[in-house]
Amino acid sequence: MKSLDELTSHCIRCGFCLESCPTFVETGEETESPRGRIYLVRSADEGKIAWEETRPHLDQCLGCRACETACPSGVEYGQILEIARDRLEREHPQRAKAALLDGLSHPGKLKLQLFLGKMLPGTKIPGLLSRMLSGEAPEADKPNPQPMYSWAELDESALPPVKGEVYLLEGCVMRVLFPGVHQATRRLLRRVGYTVRETEAGCCGSLHLHVGYLDKARSYAEKLAAAMPDDLPVIVDSAGCGSTMKEYGSLEPLALSLRSLEPLALSLKGENSGLKAQGSGLSAFSKRVFDITEFLLANGLVEELAKTNLTTKITYHDACHLAHSQGVRSQPRQLLEAIPGLQIVELQEADTCCGSAGIYNLIQPKMARRLLERKWRNIEATGADLVVLGNPGCHAWIAQAAREHKSAVRVVHTAELLESAFSGLPG
Amino acid sequence: MVEELGKLLSPERVLSGEAVARAYDCDAYTVDRSKPTCVVLPLDTAEVAAVVRWCVAHSVPFTPRGAGTGLSGGAMPALGGVVISTKKLNKVLQIDIENRMLKAQAGIANKRISDAVAEFGLHFAPDPSSQTVSTLGGNIAENSGGPHTLKYGVTTQHILSVTMVDPLGEVLEIGSLVPGAPGYDLLGLIVGGEGTLGVVTEAWVKLTPVPAAVRTALASFRTIRDATECVAAIIASGVIPAALEMMDKGVLRAVTAAFKLDYPAEADALLLIEVDAKPVSERNAAIPRPPDTDSDPNAVSPKRPTPNETVEKELSHVIAICNAHHAISIDMAQNEAERQKLWVARKKAIGAMGRLAPSIVTHDGVIPRSRLPEMLDFVYAVAEKHKIGVANIFHAGDGNLHPCFYFDDRDPKQVEAVIEAGEEIIKRCISLGGSVSGEHGIGVEKSDLLTLMFTPDDLRMQAMCKQIFNDGMLCNPCKVLPNQKGCVEHKKRWRGVGW
Ligand SMILES: Cc1cc2nc3c(=O)[nH]c(=O)nc-3n(C[C@H](O)[C@H](O)[C@H](O)COP(=O)(O)OP(=O)(O)OC[C@H]3O[C@@H](n4cnc5c(N)ncnc54)[C@H](O)[C@@H]3O)c2cc1C
Ligand code: SF4
Ligand code: SF4
Repeated sequence: MKSLDELTSHCIRCGFCLESCPTFVETGEETESPRGRIYLVRSADEGKIAWEETRPHLDQCLGCRACETACPSGVEYGQILEIARDRLEREHPQRAKAALLDGLSHPGKLKLQLFLGKMLPGTKIPGLLSRMLSGEAPEADKPNPQPMYSWAELDESALPPVKGEVYLLEGCVMRVLFPGVHQATRRLLRRVGYTVRETEAGCCGSLHLHVGYLDKARSYAEKLAAAMPDDLPVIVDSAGCGSTMKEYGSLEPLALSLRSLEPLALSLKGENSGLKAQGSGLSAFSKRVFDITEFLLANGLVEELAKTNLTTKITYHDACHLAHSQGVRSQPRQLLEAIPGLQIVELQEADTCCGSAGIYNLIQPKMARRLLERKWRNIEATGADLVVLGNPGCHAWIAQAAREHKSAVRVVHTAELLESAFSGLPG
Repeated sequence: MVEELGKLLSPERVLSGEAVARAYDCDAYTVDRSKPTCVVLPLDTAEVAAVVRWCVAHSVPFTPRGAGTGLSGGAMPALGGVVISTKKLNKVLQIDIENRMLKAQAGIANKRISDAVAEFGLHFAPDPSSQTVSTLGGNIAENSGGPHTLKYGVTTQHILSVTMVDPLGEVLEIGSLVPGAPGYDLLGLIVGGEGTLGVVTEAWVKLTPVPAAVRTALASFRTIRDATECVAAIIASGVIPAALEMMDKGVLRAVTAAFKLDYPAEADALLLIEVDAKPVSERNAAIPRPPDTDSDPNAVSPKRPTPNETVEKELSHVIAICNAHHAISIDMAQNEAERQKLWVARKKAIGAMGRLAPSIVTHDGVIPRSRLPEMLDFVYAVAEKHKIGVANIFHAGDGNLHPCFYFDDRDPKQVEAVIEAGEEIIKRCISLGGSVSGEHGIGVEKSDLLTLMFTPDDLRMQAMCKQIFNDGMLCNPCKVLPNQKGCVEHKKRWRGVGW
């Protein structure tokens, strides 16, 4: 892993990231800006301020990484944040956060909690849990699982021959809350000639990584990589998971410290090759990970879509972990544009975070709410019937805004919309 | 203090504590730092006035701050006290398309002004490279320029009037909305006043039509000398390009890593050249047009060249000059996307220097264009002597250098070397008949060097001008003018490494 010293030293304080940071734009406070946060982390790392001073400001960070897109110096803010949060968690663990994560990232426990949740009154997540996490009143509704779609079985005779197999990350939250998205993803994969090899693999560790449990994240990563052998492509339809899995390489403790200590690394090469091979396993795994839209575009779905038709008006929201972390912006748009009849209206501030950001809307309800309302105003201005996006967190959060504003606007995953072009919009 | 200011504004808009003091202790000039006691975020002119009056009543220094992208330490709270941040004064207040004017609050980012009027084919012409973030107030305070300054002028040419809070807390309206205002040019003092004459809270700015035709080219040269001589020749020929920007090999290293620019491997210097032409309606405002031509803005009476023709003609002229100066290659941006790519690379180039080292200090001395080649040789020699890295990117068209030293600010020796090297370069600029700063301001960085540039009479008059507005040590103290009482001994305290 790179050191904080090395990572933060690339920030020359030019300020180019300021206007891209949702929390800075909302508050105008430099302590809530990327430049400010990096400077605070650097100061804490150098022992000039106490680590605890950085906590409120790191807590308020969405981890959306819009700042990385804006930064000309290539500062790896995502990594700085993960390491800094890990440091903070080690010094002063927050038990409520750990318990919440444990529940979310375990499909069985999540189901149980949802069941228990239903028995509690109200639609918000329980206030007690929210206050333990954030000291603020809750904003996020309790999660509400989506039903499967009643699309007709695929007609094998009309499909291209099967070219190969892929893995599909079923994940923790997605598996329980958005089974319809996986259903659409599987059908689309089959339409370009791929079937899914089933595995028991679960959580990718993304939620842990983003809030500062590096060791936990590493062990999830290793388990997942082991459950998906044989060099098959790994398809992900959740932006947050995809971004984490593509960056598993940075979790390799040895490989990374070797990179920054090159001369030493050379002399060590011989003896430690065993360890090194284990490390590079995660990097190699990362290279096999694709967002569903990347994979479909590269495998000819555009030609298939050209034969379909869907007349409705949509707008596309860039999930942070697609646009800023994975650089996936044009692929979903190219696929959507390939659908005859579809009217696409560009969303203002399309790549500004909606505030859901992993478990952010549970930990920082107030700021999350401000960003959601900003996003919602932009969505309404487009006049679209559907908001299309590629991440479960944004999906649930923006859908909540639609409910609260009693709007007919529906939120769908890109895969769901693409499949609807073939099979019809459900409901 | 925090409590009382909280009563004046509201407690959430008064920030204090260790983390806050740290986050606001410098701008993009990181060599000197000093902590504020608190930071306030007022919402309107009245709140700014209330804060200033409180500071005056309690003898507390205050420093205005926009985005903190300044490169000379202007927004550093030199004597501590209150930082007045304009980042909640960020609204467009009024748009007058007919008269091409817009009124905005001072904390709005420069680029957001242009975005607000893009649909009318207008923009706010000053374009510092920091325009996506730097604020209107900061641009006014520093009289900022940018690549297009060569043709469109610096900020002062685009400001019509300002509302400001003077150093005693009185609200003033300065300037007029019609051109050619009689009387002394007070607005000219405020623009470029570096926040020492008061806090600007609102301004009416001029809007300029977006050019109807633009062509952008990237020419590469084997030597810096070829490129600089080419610049001098272009200007001497009478063409005024919209922009004429040069980058040397040091910058290219950073930019290539960041934006994947393509250029020949043997190139030591690149010139980014842009030519443009106004919309026809602008040039022919007085000539009535036949009623039936139209919808196509390029259609004009046959005698007048279209904007496209004008631009092509200028471009071929410029290309001929580049070729005469041994350009290795000349690439044209084929479409708006390619053009934007070149400009992003140029505008973010200094920001990209973090790829080479943890800190930068960028100077912006100005010299007569004809001395560019020898000046650059000198810059490289100085860097070499002090064993620090230097990269040059600059507004070549107006002889505005930007030698950017890159170094590690955690090493006190390097910090010293950078400061010495900077002083040598500025001295040379002055001895070549130039200036200490083209657009980044004096701040704390260069105040001592003003004595080299101005006569004692000149400096005395400047101090008197300042006194008209600011007769004390409270409003952005220790900036601009040299040897101010009470500042000299503080200098040592600011200097970076101990922080
Ligand atoms: C990478 C990079 C590139 C740059 N490129 C250019 C360039 O091309 N051209 C150029 O000219 N500059 C450039 N700059 C310098 C800087 O961006 C400009 O000086 C800019 O105008 C500063 O604006 P700001 O909002 O950041 O002001 P700040 O840095 O916050 O403040 C600058 C000064 O203005 C004063 N001030 C701020 N707001 C007000 C107000 N409302 N009323 C009164 N005083 C106020 C402050 O006290 C301070 O003295 C660049 C800087 C960086 C980091
Ligand atoms: S843009 Fe990058 S280098 Fe500049 S202040 Fe932000 S993080 Fe630092
Ligand atoms: S990750 Fe997002 S919220 Fe956090 S500093 Fe970067 S832009 Fe701001």
